[in-house]
Amino acid sequence: MFLTRSEYDRGVNTFSPEGRLFQVEYAIEAIKLGSTTVGICTQEGVVLAVEKRVQSPLLESSSIEKIMEIDSHLGCAMSGLIADARTMIDHARVTSQNHAFTYDERIKVESVTQAVCDLALRFGESVHDEDAMMSRPFGVALLIAGVDEKGPQLFHTDPSGTFVRYDAKAVGSGSEAAQSELQDKWHKQMTLKEAHILTLRVLKQVMEEKLDHHNVQLAQVTKEKGFEILDEVRLKELIDDM
Amino acid sequence: MDHFPTSWGRPRNEAIDAFNTYPLHQRPGHAPKTDTFTDGVQRTQQPIVTGTSILAFHYKDGIIMAADTLASYGSLARFKTIQRLHPVGARTVVGASGDMSDFQYLQNQLDQLTIDEFTENDGHDLGPAEIHEYLSRVMYGRRSKMNPLWNAILVGGKKDNGERFLAYVDLLGTTYSAATIATGYGAHIAIPLLRSAVEGRENEITEEQAREIMTTCMRVLFYRDARSLDKFQIATVTDAGVNISEPIKLETSWNFAENIRGYGAQTQ
Amino acid sequence: MPDGSFAQQPQQRQFNPYTENGGTILAIAGADFTVIAGDTRQSEGYSIQTRYAPKVFRLTDRAVLAVNGFAADGNMFVKKVKQRLEWYRHAHAKDMPLRAIARLIQTMLYAQRFFPYYVYNILGGIEEDGSGAVYSFDPVGSYEREACRAAGAAQALVQPFLDNQIYFKNQMAAAGQSHPLHLPLSDVLAIVIDSFTSATERHIEVGDGLEMYVVLAKGRSSQGLDGLRGAQEISTTNDGDRVFVIRRELKKD
Repeated sequence: MFLTRSEYDRGVNTFSPEGRLFQVEYAIEAIKLGSTTVGICTQEGVVLAVEKRVQSPLLESSSIEKIMEIDSHLGCAMSGLIADARTMIDHARVTSQNHAFTYDERIKVESVTQAVCDLALRFGESVHDEDAMMSRPFGVALLIAGVDEKGPQLFHTDPSGTFVRYDAKAVGSGSEAAQSELQDKWHKQMTLKEAHILTLRVLKQVMEEKLDHHNVQLAQVTKEKGFEILDEVRLKELIDDM
Repeated sequence: MDHFPTSWGRPRNEAIDAFNTYPLHQRPGHAPKTDTFTDGVQRTQQPIVTGTSILAFHYKDGIIMAADTLASYGSLARFKTIQRLHPVGARTVVGASGDMSDFQYLQNQLDQLTIDEFTENDGHDLGPAEIHEYLSRVMYGRRSKMNPLWNAILVGGKKDNGERFLAYVDLLGTTYSAATIATGYGAHIAIPLLRSAVEGRENEITEEQAREIMTTCMRVLFYRDARSLDKFQIATVTDAGVNISEPIKLETSWNFAENIRGYGAQTQ
Repeated sequence: MPDGSFAQQPQQRQFNPYTENGGTILAIAGADFTVIAGDTRQSEGYSIQTRYAPKVFRLTDRAVLAVNGFAADGNMFVKKVKQRLEWYRHAHAKDMPLRAIARLIQTMLYAQRFFPYYVYNILGGIEEDGSGAVYSFDPVGSYEREACRAAGAAQALVQPFLDNQIYFKNQMAAAGQSHPLHLPLSDVLAIVIDSFTSATERHIEVGDGLEMYVVLAKGRSSQGLDGLRGAQEISTTNDGDRVFVIRRELKKD
């Protein structure tokens, strides 16, 4: 009687008899619909790259924002429901500023990732006078890149609030192909430049449209210059070098 | 959005913070409670019915503490059979000077605390160090609300490892421990006598000697402290437990008074 | 009123939630070490309450905090700082760096701006770069990093002495020479001991016992401590910064 899936995917906080939270699993599925996002960690710094789906020639591609700054040493790329990420980025930014205010130091990449993941399971029905923060799980995965005392690091978060550190990670619609390509090509001694090229190559492979400086965005976090989104000029140069 | 995890209230009941993220007083739902009558509440601005000094020191078998049985109303010796030494659990004694109603409130709180601890039946019991820590939190908490419990309190006893414990806490939340402690006038008059009699000899003084020293100090205090009485009680805490004596009447002699010259009726 | 009446103006006596408990603290930073010291007397008015009430506390293997002023506030403050350090350890999987502790202390003090902890704090230890550091605070959180600082009852006696001995104020360097930037540990310890014996002589609230904490930077030899009687190591590891405590008697009159 209770064996059908639909019985247990209504209440967002109800386990199925097999011990699964379907809404969370569906949210993870939602990410696979998102545009491909790639992150690569090297000893010089971390590179983030996203595919921008320019759905119409009338669309101003520079208004698509899928890589954001959290703090001067932290950046974030996203895939899935981008609007959901705003809540998380907002929280990450406040957490990071608050840490700097209280401790006069840069927050660690792992700590800010943990703070974002603390939000992930704060969904569900509200009880009498309290208001719940969200009615459903986040439908977005983040790649959080940063440099701290432990060096450059790349973290991946998903809607279940789980976070894992990666040397290189791809998420979104083309992630399967992209991830295996990363597994092939990534190596420990990789330079930042090589990482730039690799992210672009990986994106190029999985993108339907022809890759150009309008439909990808590239960012990096380095020890020297912190977080920066590469401008069109540098992006063009890299695409030409590819 | 509220970015402070403490305000998120997980689990949903905000009174509970299973993760102990922040101290109690910073958590939502723990703001000072006020009601319609708050403005009308009188706080203790001064003590009314007061007890005078408490004396205590270490001796060979444990801790000895003494207090007279007077509760004064200003300069009026109002209540002459008030007990100011209070046993807590099996190996602690608490003595208080200052406002007697505040002390009696604390006695009730401590009794309730021991009952709660007893009913837990978990093999733990509260020793003198725990009682003192608890009292210091209460006293400091109340002073921080500008609503102090107007007392200076001594806590003495034996810890579960057999060590002696003697410490002080007052209306400001000030704490300290030492081998000889006295409150009020005793801090000025009895402490010099106690320090010379006790310090360095804590492990030699027998119970008999300790009682003798205590009686001497109480006598001096009775001679000099106008808010004292010649009836007092002695408490001891040893491995055998807490013992609080019946009131003892001080032997005093006022013969010397006739020989004093220089003030009063006789000028020559 | 002279006639004994109180009828004219209503009297309002306010409960004073503060007192002063005497004592003095002091810290001096070296190139790769810091000494943080305090006496152990606690007093109120003319009464010595106890001859042993510590005012200096090890926070981590590289940070030591000295707290002076109103003892009840001081103890509570140290308790809360230690609590925050433990939470930080759980949240960030490392001991809080000295500079972060200094900023934390500022925010904790300033949070009580309108009912301050009546305490003067001196934080000493080793920075991330391995240098010795001293941070001093006022009761509401103003702070700065210095080479040395005295606070408490005998601040007015000790600080000028330190200005002269550490900063070489009013001293002329020999021709063609300059004053050293940092003193060796043995000299610093001698200055600390002299400061406290002198303060004990001239200030009634100082005396009974002296506790000196020495924090050594990672990898530094214990040179300057070796010859010293009764230096006791209290660090949790011996491959990082290290903390030692040295106790001395002071006059008890």
